[in-house]
Amino acid sequence: MIRLTWLQFRTQAVTAAAALAAFAALLAATGPHLASLYAASGLSGCHGGGCQNLAGSFEAQVQSTGIDAALYVIGLGIILLAPAVIGLFWGAPLIARELETGTSALAWNQSVTRTRWLAVKLTVIGLTAMAVTEGLSLMQAWWAAPLGRAAGLGAPAGALIQGRFTQLIFASHGITPLGYAAFAFALGVTAGALIRRTIPAMAVTLAVFAALQIAMPLWIRPHFAPADRTVIATSPGNEAGGATGPGGDTLTLVATSLPGQPGAWILSSGPVNAAGQPVSTVPAACTASSIENNLPDFDGCLTSQGVREAISYQPASRYWPFQWAETALYLALALALVGYCFRRLNRRRS
Amino acid sequence: MIEFQLDETSGVATYLQLVQQVHQALRMGMLEPGDQLPTAQQVVAKLVINPNTVHKAYRELEREGLARARPGLGTFITRSPSGTDPATQARFLAAMTEWLRSARSAGLGPDDIEAIYRTAFRTCFSEGAA
Amino acid sequence: MTAAIETIGLGKQYRRTWALRGCTLAIPEGRVVGLVGPNGAGKTTLLGLAAGMLAPTCGTISVLGEPPAAGPAQLGRVGYVAQDTPAYARMRVADHLRLGAWLNPGWDGELAGRRVAQIGLDPKQRAGSLSGGQRAQLALTLALAKRPELLLLDEPVASLDPLARREFLRGLMEAVAEHNTSVVLSSHLVTDLERVCDYLIVLVASQVRIAGEVGELLASHRRLSGPRRDPGTLPAGQAVVEESHTDKQSTLLVRTDEPVLDPAWTVTPVGMEELVLAYMNPANDIPARRPRLGVAS
Repeated sequence: MIRLTWLQFRTQAVTAAAALAAFAALLAATGPHLASLYAASGLSGCHGGGCQNLAGSFEAQVQSTGIDAALYVIGLGIILLAPAVIGLFWGAPLIARELETGTSALAWNQSVTRTRWLAVKLTVIGLTAMAVTEGLSLMQAWWAAPLGRAAGLGAPAGALIQGRFTQLIFASHGITPLGYAAFAFALGVTAGALIRRTIPAMAVTLAVFAALQIAMPLWIRPHFAPADRTVIATSPGNEAGGATGPGGDTLTLVATSLPGQPGAWILSSGPVNAAGQPVSTVPAACTASSIENNLPDFDGCLTSQGVREAISYQPASRYWPFQWAETALYLALALALVGYCFRRLNRRRS
Repeated sequence: MIEFQLDETSGVATYLQLVQQVHQALRMGMLEPGDQLPTAQQVVAKLVINPNTVHKAYRELEREGLARARPGLGTFITRSPSGTDPATQARFLAAMTEWLRSARSAGLGPDDIEAIYRTAFRTCFSEGAA
Repeated sequence: MTAAIETIGLGKQYRRTWALRGCTLAIPEGRVVGLVGPNGAGKTTLLGLAAGMLAPTCGTISVLGEPPAAGPAQLGRVGYVAQDTPAYARMRVADHLRLGAWLNPGWDGELAGRRVAQIGLDPKQRAGSLSGGQRAQLALTLALAKRPELLLLDEPVASLDPLARREFLRGLMEAVAEHNTSVVLSSHLVTDLERVCDYLIVLVASQVRIAGEVGELLASHRRLSGPRRDPGTLPAGQAVVEESHTDKQSTLLVRTDEPVLDPAWTVTPVGMEELVLAYMNPANDIPARRPRLGVAS
C-alpha cells in the first residue's frame, strides 16, 4: 500500500522536491551575501542597547540591495502559501479524483480495506506535507537569521525587521507551519470526500483555509491567553495619526513597540485621557502643533493634556506557548477531519 | 482430435449438439475408442460457451457408455455407439462416394442427387425396421 | 452447496427512488449467471451491493457466506469490474499489474503476465490510451489474477465491438473452465448471454422478475398457440407470462411444470431470448400460480 501511494503520488512528490531544491538553491546562493553584509555591519560583536544604530543601518543596507528584500518577502509568501497549495493539489484530489474517474471501484475492491487504503495514503502524504512546509520554513529561517539577530539587537521595526510574534512571522516560523500543512491537507481530503469532484473541492478548500488563516491572527490567536494591559506616555516613536474632520482632528496612536517589552505582540493601542477613558480627537490645545510640523512638541502637548497611550499586548515570553497552542489546535482540527473522512468512506451510501 | 462446431440457429441445446457431433464422429470413424475428447478449456476457447455445457455433454456421453472421464487426464472414448465397427462404415463410405461420382458424371446435379437420396431414405426407413 | 450470493428482501434507496427492492435470491456457486434487464433496472445496484461498494437500505446480502467487503480476505475472494471498466489513465499497464500484486496476497502474477501477453497489451502503454476493448481486457485480467471465487462484471461488454466482445467472453470462459469461478455478468445484450450463461436473473424496474437455472427455465416454459381463448380457462398449473390475441387466434407464453395435454394448442419450446424479452416487458405481470384474467387485445 505504501508503494502504491508513492506510485500515485509520484508526480506531486517530484514537483515538491524540485520546488524545494530550487528554493534551497536560491537561498544558498544569496545567503552568504546577506551574512557578509551582517558581518560587515559590525553587529556581530555588538551587545547591549547601543547597537540600535548599527542594526538600523544594516537593515537600510539590506533594503537598498533590493534583491535580498524581495527574496525575503517571496520566501515568506512561499511558506504561507505552501499549506494552501498542498491542500488543493495533494488533499482535494485524493478521494475526489478516484470517485470522479470511477477508479475507486478498482482501488477499493483489491484485498485492502478502505480504512487501510485511506490510513496509509493520509499518513504518507500528510507527513510529507508537514515535512515540506516545515522544511521551507527552516530554510528560510536559516537564510534570514541575520535579519532576526538585527531585530533582536533593537533595529527599528520595518518591512524586513519584524518581531517573531507578529502575524506574518508567527505563521511562517516555529512549528505552526506543521499544523497548517496538516490541517490544509486534511481539509482538502475531506472536501474531496464530501463534494466528490476535484475542482469544486479545491475551491472550497481554498476558501475555508483562507478564511481560517485570516480569522486566526485577528480573532482567535489574541485570545489564547488574556492580554496584558498597560498605559505609557506617548513618545515620538509611536506614531500619532490625525485627520481633519468635523469636531476636530481625530487622534490615533499606533504602537509598534513597547519599551520594556521587546518582542511583545501589540494587539491594540489607543489614546486615553488621565482618567483612563479613550480619547478620539486631538485636544483643542494641541491642534496648532500638528504632526507634520513638530513631533516632539505635539507629543509634549499631548502629555501635558494628560493624554497617554493604552496598549494591550502579549508578552514575548508567551511566544512558544502560543506556538504550541496554535499548532495543537490545527492538528486537532486535522485529526477531527480525518476521523470524519474514515467514517464517511465506510458509510458506502453510494 | 475432434473439433466441435456450434449451430446457433438450430434450436438444439448446445450440449446436445456436442453429444451428436461425437456420435457422428464415431460413426464416421473420425473418433475411435481410446481417443481423447477435447478438454473443456479447449472447447471453450474455440466456441466461447459455458464450460458446464461441455461437462454436461461429456456426462451424457458417460451415461450412454461412450466415454469415460479419467481424473487429471481427460475424457476418453470407450466404444462406438452402434454395433458396426469403423471398418464397415468405411466400406459404405467408399461405396457412397463411388455412387456419387458416377451420378455426377451422368449429369445429375446436387439437387437431383439430394432428392433421390431423400426419397430412397424415406422409403427404406418408413418400411419398418431401421 | 453454498450459495455464491444470497439475498433476503434486499433493497437500496437513493433519496426518493428505490434502485432495488424486495430482492430475494440464492445464486448457487460454480455458475455463470446472466443478470439481464433494461437500463436503470437495478443491475448496477445489485452488483454494487454484492461487491461491497454500496450498503443496503434494508434486507440482507451475503457473498460467499460473508457480508460483502467484510475484510481483506473476503475482498480477495471477490473480483469486481465496474461499468466502463475504469483504469488509471496515466498509469501504465505494468503499473496496474504491480498495483494488483501489491494489494492482493493471492495475486497470480504468472497468470496476469500470460493474459496480458495473450491479449497483446504493451505493458509500457498508459491505460488512458488503450481502446475500450483493451481496457476491458485489462480490467478483467486484474480481476482474474487475484484468483477470486466469484467475479462480478457490470456490463463489461456494453461498449465493445462484436470482435472485442467475443474475445472478452472467450477470456472469461477460459478462466471459468480453468478455475471453476462463479460469475455474475450483467448485460442488456441477450445473445451474448445465451452462449455463456447457465443461470438467469431478469431484473426490471428494481425488482427481480424471474431467476433460475437456464435449463430448468427453458424446460418449464412453453409457447402455446391455438384458437382464440380466454387465458382464465387454462389449468391452474399453467401461469401465463405473456399473451397476445387476434380475433381468431391466441398466443400465450406459459410457465408450467406439467406437460400441456390440451390438443387444441400447438406447443413449441421457448428460446432464451424470447423468454427474457417476455419477462422484461413491463406490460406483462409476473405470473402467480393462477393464470391471469382479462384480455388485452
